[in-house]
Amino acid sequence: MRVRGATILAPVALLALAACTNEARTLGPSLPQTAPAGNADPRVPAYQANLYQVAQGGRYFMWYGCSGCHDDSARGAANLSDGRWRRGGGFADVYRAIARHRPAPAYEATVPVEQLWQLTAYVRDLPAHHPEKRRRVTLDQEGEPQGSQWSGPQ
Amino acid sequence: MRTAIVFLAVATLAGCAGIQSPLSPAGDQAAALHSLFTLMMIVCGAVYLIVLLGIVWSVLRSGTQRRFDSASGGERRLDRGLYVAASAIVIGLTVLIVGSFIADRALVAAREDDAVIVRITGHQWWWRIEYRDPASGRWIETANELHLPLARTTRVQLASADVIHSFWVPNVAGKIDMIPGRRNVVHLTPRRLGWFRGQCTEFCGAQHAHMAFDVKVDGQAAFDSWLARQGSARAPRRQSGRGASVFVQVCGSCHRVRGTEARGRAGPDLTHFASRRSIAAGTLPMSRGGIQGWLAQPQALKPGTSMPTVPLEPADADAVATYLETLR
Repeated sequence: MRVRGATILAPVALLALAACTNEARTLGPSLPQTAPAGNADPRVPAYQANLYQVAQGGRYFMWYGCSGCHDDSARGAANLSDGRWRRGGGFADVYRAIARHRPAPAYEATVPVEQLWQLTAYVRDLPAHHPEKRRRVTLDQEGEPQGSQWSGPQ
Repeated sequence: MRTAIVFLAVATLAGCAGIQSPLSPAGDQAAALHSLFTLMMIVCGAVYLIVLLGIVWSVLRSGTQRRFDSASGGERRLDRGLYVAASAIVIGLTVLIVGSFIADRALVAAREDDAVIVRITGHQWWWRIEYRDPASGRWIETANELHLPLARTTRVQLASADVIHSFWVPNVAGKIDMIPGRRNVVHLTPRRLGWFRGQCTEFCGAQHAHMAFDVKVDGQAAFDSWLARQGSARAPRRQSGRGASVFVQVCGSCHRVRGTEARGRAGPDLTHFASRRSIAAGTLPMSRGGIQGWLAQPQALKPGTSMPTVPLEPADADAVATYLETLR
């Protein structure tokens, strides 16, 4: 009986530990970065499959004021959570759509490359979630600044 | 050996003074807590001593064999001893409870109608500080540096934008948590001029240790002129040149310099950046080298900070640093 308990617990513990790598973050000096070379750029999984990078993208999404126009009630191309991408849904496609955002501003002039990677990962992650979860995340971030607006935590 | 002990004792005592120590109170609230601490030390130290003496006494007596005889005075002596011990415990606890009650009352007693109102919001990992201008009622924003008028109460409203932080300026008052979705209030009544240091004391992420702030206690006149200066915006016509334009373009989406096009709210307000004593919530001293290093590689100096490394041409980085130095 004791042996059976251990055989069940071991895989569960391993599974729980494996989940931690989803959020692994590398802290340290920034290295020079470039835009993705294509949708199959080998650097993509390090951002798209990493929940920390996706969540950082979410914070910058709010701080840079993106959420002012791109919320769940947005229509057409501005709705980022409906899974339809007017200019392609690949990583490099979405990255380019942000970097050369139309209408202006083109964010590559104001947002550093690392944050563009994080923003792209976040935006591409949005359709994977239930609307209720997106709403809850927005509520969690209500105390944070949005673009040039900051009303403080309520 | 003796030198080592003396050295250790001196080093330990040196920790008692200084700019971040509850044992060197410089404000009413810290003084109340310090006297409670002294009282507890005395009472608990006496209890400790009595227990030790009792152990020593019983060890010394354990060799002697004595027949316990209830007819003689043995039981009566034991009874009397119990009464003395019980009343000593009751008296000791009563002293501590009364002391704790008095200190607690002193902390909430500092209500003044003309208190300076300050709102502080914790962010990972810096402090947004807003003063309410007594004349106009508008909020004057700064960051990571708190100025307090001497011998006057400042009412600090605490909140958090992300996770739980904790506000602590040990020389002036006790600590209090900053909870998301809630406003806590702490009163500060400093009684000594000078610089002190505040620190976040609730683990809040990778750079919790680098979430500090400077506290300056000023005379009323000096405080008023400081606040008036913090409230002023920059004159737009003087914000020309390469540094200013690069700043607006690449830093302006997160930082604000009032009077210019830089209107971001995500990072600290930099309108009077160079008037502060340190950079990045106590991470670096305010100096040209500090500014330039922070611009070049924030992730190396404060790994995990939300300040990104902005790839700038060396000449542009130089111009931005020169510009930042003018924001006094």
